[in-house]
Amino acid sequence: MSRELRLCAWCLLFVAGEVALYVSYRGHDARFHWFTHFFVGAAAALLAMTVFALWRQRPAPYPLVWVLVGHVLAAAPDLAFIAGVEHQRWMDVFLGHLASHYVPGRNLTWYAAFLATLAGYLVAVDRVEARSRR
Amino acid sequence: MRTDRRRRLAAVWLGTAVMLGALLGVAQASRGPLDDPDQAHQRVGFLDAGPLPAAAPATITEAVAARPAVAFFVREQQFDALCDALAPSSLDLDAVIVVVHRAGEPCGGAAVVADDGDVAAAVGLRRPAGGGYPVGYAALDDEDRIRYRTLDPGLAGRLDEVATILDAVR
Repeated sequence: MSRELRLCAWCLLFVAGEVALYVSYRGHDARFHWFTHFFVGAAAALLAMTVFALWRQRPAPYPLVWVLVGHVLAAAPDLAFIAGVEHQRWMDVFLGHLASHYVPGRNLTWYAAFLATLAGYLVAVDRVEARSRR
Repeated sequence: MRTDRRRRLAAVWLGTAVMLGALLGVAQASRGPLDDPDQAHQRVGFLDAGPLPAAAPATITEAVAARPAVAFFVREQQFDALCDALAPSSLDLDAVIVVVHRAGEPCGGAAVVADDGDVAAAVGLRRPAGGGYPVGYAALDDEDRIRYRTLDPGLAGRLDEVATILDAVR
């Protein structure tokens, strides 16, 4: 399979995964929870990707998969809730699943955090690619 | 070449920021009048959030007397849909109280309480974004304490979620 097709397949997996997560919430207040756990999970993934890039001196492979994994990790208690398991305080181990809802500024704060970590990763990628061309 | 790479990366950041910012804006603007104005407090999914547990008002406890129960709060417009949904659900109707704004009518086997707003206020349900009577529910334990409360405009279609909360209270 060509590289372009492989990349596109991972893109489709990402989109399908995010749509599935959104649908799993049901109801329009899903938009609040989807955004909270997406931004938190994606920000955590981007931090991990930045560490990877600086350590391995190359961009993280399949970046959208990292983001999807981060989102699933942050939203895991909500998936358990669908199976009949109520939330409990210890579930904050999943990237602050409960506590993240109450941060001042709510989703706007997490949106800003996500953009900051995205910027950090892209800067890391720029430096790594600049070094590889010397 | 370095400039091109940086332009490409900047475009990725800017495009992502604009796309997600627009989606976030649409999501924020699409909040309904029956929703909580602060969605962080709606359908939190865990017991004893904030000041809970708290004593339940007598109007509620008299209807179920020291056993795990759920009290639904609805306006007249949601009453029929809720009663229709309760009958085939897994919820034990002996553990259900339906508190309806103003007039009360039979609702299958569930206890029905008429309320001008005092009961909802005593339970501590938050005021909806559009004002008026709250639509949501509260879960009580066997010590007549409120362990969970939330606004939920779509509660009639989410009784499985209510059952999960009631199981957690037991």
